[in-house]
Amino acid sequence: MTSQAIRPGMPDRGWWDRTAGDDPKPARSTEARRELIAPGSPWRAVAVPTAVALGAVGAIAASRAHLPLFLGAVAGAAAALLGVFALPSLPTRRVVVVLLGLGGLGALRHASYTGDDTSALLVVWALSTLVALLLVDRAVTEHVPTLVPGAPLERRGREIARMAVAIAVIAAVTVVAFGPTITDRLGRHVWPGLAPSLGGFIGAPSSLRANNRLDMTQRPRLSDRVVFTVDAPRASFWRGQTYDRWNGHDWTQSDQGSVRLAPNRGPIALTPDPDDTGAFRGRPMRQTFRLESGFSDVVFAAPSPVQIETDKVIESHADGTATVYGGFGRGATYTVTSRSLPVTAALLRAADRAAVPESVLSRFARPAPTTDEVNALAQRITASAPTTYDRIRAIEAWLGAHVKYSLNAPLSPANVDVVDYFLFHSRVGWCEQVASSLVVMARSVGIPARLATGFVPGHRDALSGQFVVRERDAHAWAEIYFPGVGWQPFDPTASVPLAGDAPSGGSWLDVARHHAVELGAIAAVIVLLVVGFPEVQSFFRRRRARRRAAWSTRTMARLERIGRRAGRARRPFETPREYANVLAAYLHDERIAEVGETLDADGFSDAGASPSARASADSVLSSL
Amino acid sequence: MNGPGELTLTSIVLFTLGAYGIAAGAASGEQSVVAVGVFAFALFLIGIIWPIVALSRVDVDAWTPTDATVGERYDVHVRLGGRASRVEVRLLDPPGDWWRTASPATGEIQRIATRRGVVRSLRVELRTSAPLGVFVRTRAVRVDLRFELVVAPSPVAAGARSDPAARRTRERPNEGPVAVSTVASRGGGDTVRAVRPYVSGDAARLVHWPTSARLGTLVIREHEPPPAIGIALVVDLNGPPDDVEHAASRAAGIGRATLAAGGAVWCCTSEPSGPVSARVVDARDLGRRLARAGAGEPGTPPADWPVEVVRA
Repeated sequence: MTSQAIRPGMPDRGWWDRTAGDDPKPARSTEARRELIAPGSPWRAVAVPTAVALGAVGAIAASRAHLPLFLGAVAGAAAALLGVFALPSLPTRRVVVVLLGLGGLGALRHASYTGDDTSALLVVWALSTLVALLLVDRAVTEHVPTLVPGAPLERRGREIARMAVAIAVIAAVTVVAFGPTITDRLGRHVWPGLAPSLGGFIGAPSSLRANNRLDMTQRPRLSDRVVFTVDAPRASFWRGQTYDRWNGHDWTQSDQGSVRLAPNRGPIALTPDPDDTGAFRGRPMRQTFRLESGFSDVVFAAPSPVQIETDKVIESHADGTATVYGGFGRGATYTVTSRSLPVTAALLRAADRAAVPESVLSRFARPAPTTDEVNALAQRITASAPTTYDRIRAIEAWLGAHVKYSLNAPLSPANVDVVDYFLFHSRVGWCEQVASSLVVMARSVGIPARLATGFVPGHRDALSGQFVVRERDAHAWAEIYFPGVGWQPFDPTASVPLAGDAPSGGSWLDVARHHAVELGAIAAVIVLLVVGFPEVQSFFRRRRARRRAAWSTRTMARLERIGRRAGRARRPFETPREYANVLAAYLHDERIAEVGETLDADGFSDAGASPSARASADSVLSSL
Repeated sequence: MNGPGELTLTSIVLFTLGAYGIAAGAASGEQSVVAVGVFAFALFLIGIIWPIVALSRVDVDAWTPTDATVGERYDVHVRLGGRASRVEVRLLDPPGDWWRTASPATGEIQRIATRRGVVRSLRVELRTSAPLGVFVRTRAVRVDLRFELVVAPSPVAAGARSDPAARRTRERPNEGPVAVSTVASRGGGDTVRAVRPYVSGDAARLVHWPTSARLGTLVIREHEPPPAIGIALVVDLNGPPDDVEHAASRAAGIGRATLAAGGAVWCCTSEPSGPVSARVVDARDLGRRLARAGAGEPGTPPADWPVEVVRA
């Protein structure tokens, strides 16, 4: 304090040593609680976004657990409110921050692969967490005594809104700019995951287990459970297996042999079907699969896989598919590179000019065992179609017009041709019957065809851009061989665009990244507007005040501005005349002293300064 | 607390969420998890950078009254320039309480003077954690006062030195015998200096009856004022710090009491500019002289003044 000696600083209370909602700490918790819930208490305002944040996380968790969203939201919000108001003996700030931290962990844990699209809930969580943090800091500040007279703090709602918008925009730009890059640069494309367990094996749906026989008399289990996720640039069928032999009841695979490939510090090259042109000349697409189910020994991939990155032993099959020796466990991650030619209807129509290899014809184009009615139907439907592609489209159109899709369709009776029963009797079935009908009828008219099983692309998460694939996405479709193109998927069950016809949309992040410059500019403008709003407001206020001000006020302001620029600001105790005299000496210009006299005359004489004196003073100031 | 600032629990939570989210999301390739992690990390960084930038834009000016006394309150006027939505301010040396305000603002902070001396600058500490409470940025600013603040010692109660009758030796606590010389006083308040006509309100006892009888009208006596009591305070502040402060307080007590009794005080001190021996005009002047006094040879007292030596 004195110039001679400075006493060592007294021990200061740490920032976090103080209680927050109860500062100074009330003696009894009831008093603290009363203070917390009192009208106008800033902690009441804090409780609202905290409850919303935890409610959003609760809803996400409920979605993952296949419970009603409402239940999770209410539970999360109730936990937040209890935490804020039922623990008055703890510093409220710490309680809120810990609750928000737990909410953040929950958001991380359940960020994806939940029931419905939870991106909106994640955004709600993020915004409410941001608002809660802003309010917590504001509440802490409001507990500090006010400097008198000081300047009042901006209204709570206005300040929080302004800050929330600015920070949300900055954070969103950061997420857009760095999120995908981090995933691309740092993301692991191979991860062993958990060891496959017996329970996982038993609990895994049949669609995840490699099987050389597809039983058409079994109804598939189709739940909402997520089986795997795929990080891929575009949608595709995630093919698992193909079947080429039909006996009227089941599909089976010809034993064409397989090659066992062990990982060797790099991608494993698969052995593609030599007749599959797309596997050699097609455009590569890299996909990273992460298994969410407990077990799978099928390597799913977009057709046609040519390379796989994994730490497991892979069995590469002659039909271009692969299985994994021992199976993958939960969390296993592998990356597949597939090749396929982008096709259009015109390209497929033109493919008939080339000849189909004999090996394909002998194996896939011979009529499958079925009834004469089915063969006759196929001939009739395709009679007027000029090309292979048109014949397939004709069969698809007939199926679309005459059969219905239902998972509750009756199972075929024993010893009855399943396709015949489906086409002429039940006319109701699911993807396996529909696709089998297409393959059988295609073969009836000499078109090489086979049945493929796997999964449809699944739901693309709006935030992450990953495809979330569930049990109910299990599917069967037909693959038709086109010379010069290879095996091309056709889905008679649903209208799925051909690969290359319609590029699929990306996630919010991808879209935002593609427009990063525009978004960045918009964000910068928003931040500047929001943060600089008070500055702009005060600028215009000052400007308005200057316009309304009297001549003496304006002139004094000019004089002060000139002095400031010259390095001699006006001191609070200096009168206009004193200041003008000082400036006159400082700038060696006696005219400034006259300006001071004019100012005095204008301010204190009855008549004020004469117009000529004012004009003179103005010209002096202008000349400076 | 004089460092650049401190991280809070919020920062730990956000950093943990950010690091975990980015690491876990990158490992698993889950973009949603990475997005959550990047969001938390962005809040962490914004929460650190924002208060640093906000506080760097705030400048401080301060001024005080020119005089204060140890143990008594005085106001420090603080002016904050630059724009900041929330700032907390306090005085250092020793640290006082925090006060919140928006900036720009002007306010008064009361504090109690703790040490005698001359204050030419103050240390003001600013802090803010706005907007997110992630990082408490603190900044200590030394502000040169417009006018120096002179802190006088707190006077210890003492009687006026009003016994100038004879030359004798005085003993003060903690000090050896000193010779005290006195000047003879003239008049004692009962010597008639002049007479004047009576005016309404004059006391009857002041009527000078012989003159009134002679002149035929009431005449009132006017007495000589009481004699001025003079004392030369020799303040010798060579000694241990605590004794020095105590001696300064005793000197202030003696001087003030003497001044209050109508006496004159001549103060002999050692100041940074050297020995000073000069008469003080009032209590404030005495306090200023004692505030500046320090170790060294005090000035020589004038002759014919009774000397009171106050030694540490």
